[in-house]
Amino acid sequence: MKAFEYFAPASLEEAFDLLDRFGPEGKLFNGGTDVVIQLRDHLIAPKAVIDIKRIPGLKTLTYDPQGGLTIGACMTMNEIGNDPQVIAHYPTLAKAALSVGSKQVRNRATCIGNIVNASPLADTSTPLLAHNAVVIARSREGERSIPLEEFFVFVRKTSLKPGEIVTAIQVPPAPGSRGEFTKISRRREVDLSTICATILKAEDGWRVAYGSVAPTPIRLKKTEALLNEGPLTDAVIEEAVELARSEVSPIDDVRATKAYRLEVVGVVLARSLRALM
Amino acid sequence: MKYRVNFFVNEEPVELYVDANKTMLRVLREELALTGTKEGCGAGECGACTVIVDGKPINACLVLAPELDGMHITTVEGLAKDGQLTNVQQAFVDLAALQCGFCTPGFIMSATALLQENPSPSRDEIVDAISGNLCRCTGYARIIEAIELAARKGGGQT
Repeated sequence: MKAFEYFAPASLEEAFDLLDRFGPEGKLFNGGTDVVIQLRDHLIAPKAVIDIKRIPGLKTLTYDPQGGLTIGACMTMNEIGNDPQVIAHYPTLAKAALSVGSKQVRNRATCIGNIVNASPLADTSTPLLAHNAVVIARSREGERSIPLEEFFVFVRKTSLKPGEIVTAIQVPPAPGSRGEFTKISRRREVDLSTICATILKAEDGWRVAYGSVAPTPIRLKKTEALLNEGPLTDAVIEEAVELARSEVSPIDDVRATKAYRLEVVGVVLARSLRALM
Repeated sequence: MKYRVNFFVNEEPVELYVDANKTMLRVLREELALTGTKEGCGAGECGACTVIVDGKPINACLVLAPELDGMHITTVEGLAKDGQLTNVQQAFVDLAALQCGFCTPGFIMSATALLQENPSPSRDEIVDAISGNLCRCTGYARIIEAIELAARKGGGQT
């Protein structure tokens, strides 16, 4: 690791000062499970690492039936995945959170870090996309709410502006919804997703979200529209499988081929729809 | 620039001046000579550097040294008291749940954290709890049996 200055601001104001002072040379730091590796491998070499874990108010998780779920920036994957409210109302999110890394990693890694990192295969991205989650970004100018779909821009690129800090993610209430989270990986634990997906049957219709099949995690809107046209039959499932395969743009990489991913996109959709019929 | 950190290792208070670009793992091994905590992959995949911080197992290789301030850390050196091994340690000895031994401290820490939280885990819960620890020698069967034995003998304490 190259040398850098470390800061642990005690307030958001202090953190904004540091972001102003260091600009693009300042790297926000949370659970560290991605950033420490990037530092170690010299993928990044910031002048300053700004640890947000000592800022009060970011280590919170609240749920109420009207407002839904609010996940503070510093909540870890284990805290989210084992939370009784998350398990009861957003089981796909709980399952996704507990599918990340190992128990040791999940005691440090945060959901907000997973989202801000903006990997195409971020495990918690698909349940959050399916639930229409909103990213809350704070800056000196105030607060901005960014729908998660608009937050992801490209591989590891977000619509976050300089000087902004993601303080929370809000997930709307989803009464009566049922969902299936699937992670296809080479081994069951401590692996990255070859494909991940959340298929949600919400009160207002189907929602279909996939990771690792495009430059960002995505919703398959045409497939959703087809599913929402009428009752789910075997013929509709077959048609939806073909449509879903046309909506994704996977690549060959170290984990799988494009052909494998195209095949499995359909398999995961069909299995999930049948489980939720 | 050095950063002053005050923390506890195995219940002993420690004050150090550390570099920001060091990890907790390097501080434990190089500055405190606690070499029971091993470096395997250095990327949070193998679990050889597992320590217990504030009751939870974490990878010491993924923590920056200045973050140590205020932490309560237990390493493998902090388990045995007055030469008396803990149930987990003794079970690993009794069942020969190791071969080369490099991964063993990490497994002991993951198992200890599990039994402190859940004194009577199922076999599946044991497998889950050690899924972040890699062993290239044993094939895991003896390790799982040792953790079951430790649980029967009273869990994560001595």
